[in-house]
Amino acid sequence: MTIKVRFFARFRELLGTDIVVTAQEGTLLLGLVKKTAEKSREGYDAIFDAKGEFREYVIVMQNGRRMETATAGSTPVSDGDEIAVFPPVAGG
Amino acid sequence: MIAIQNSDVDIGALITSAKKKGTGAIVVFDGVVRDDNIREMELEAYEEVALHELEKIAAEAQAAYNLISVDIIHRIGCLALGENILVIVVGAGHREEAYGGSRFIIEAIKAGVPIWKKELCRDGDRWVPGEHPHGRRPKN
Repeated sequence: MTIKVRFFARFRELLGTDIVVTAQEGTLLLGLVKKTAEKSREGYDAIFDAKGEFREYVIVMQNGRRMETATAGSTPVSDGDEIAVFPPVAGG
Repeated sequence: MIAIQNSDVDIGALITSAKKKGTGAIVVFDGVVRDDNIREMELEAYEEVALHELEKIAAEAQAAYNLISVDIIHRIGCLALGENILVIVVGAGHREEAYGGSRFIIEAIKAGVPIWKKELCRDGDRWVPGEHPHGRRPKN
């Protein structure tokens, strides 16, 4: 199955965006984002803490809906999903 | 009109179109690029989601403050000093509702709409930190 991972703002600068990832059935969201972020040490460290969990300020959306990052380790992704990962918003 | 766009905003036209039957007060909020020793500002949005969020905020404000009209235009792209970033025009029967609705909208945008600003400075660039670390609107 294929999943699109989108990073925004500083994360985009470090990791790129609109990355199409091929994953196996049963892949979990946390693992998918980790694998995608591993290409840049700085990008990975901006998103994950030393324990490999999402940093407290990181916001994650699955198909446009905000999700609790604490549950990302048990949330499966599905074919065609769009996962967005970004820092705190600053519009206005 | 609810939009995220690169082009500038005709605020005068928005005010004219906000003068609907029953309108007694129009409040305009215009957020502009401030000269904080920067050259220009770059704005980025998760556009599909941000637009949906703006529409939701407009509907909530309309219901909560009895607004007759709501326009929200947020710009993205590269903006020079003094350029419009965000224009909110609300029309209501009375000033209390118009001021309240306008304030509600700007605070909700700052709290949760996925848009980011980067200040391009003479001595390097910096992302503007968000005011709400969890990206959620504060509870009333």
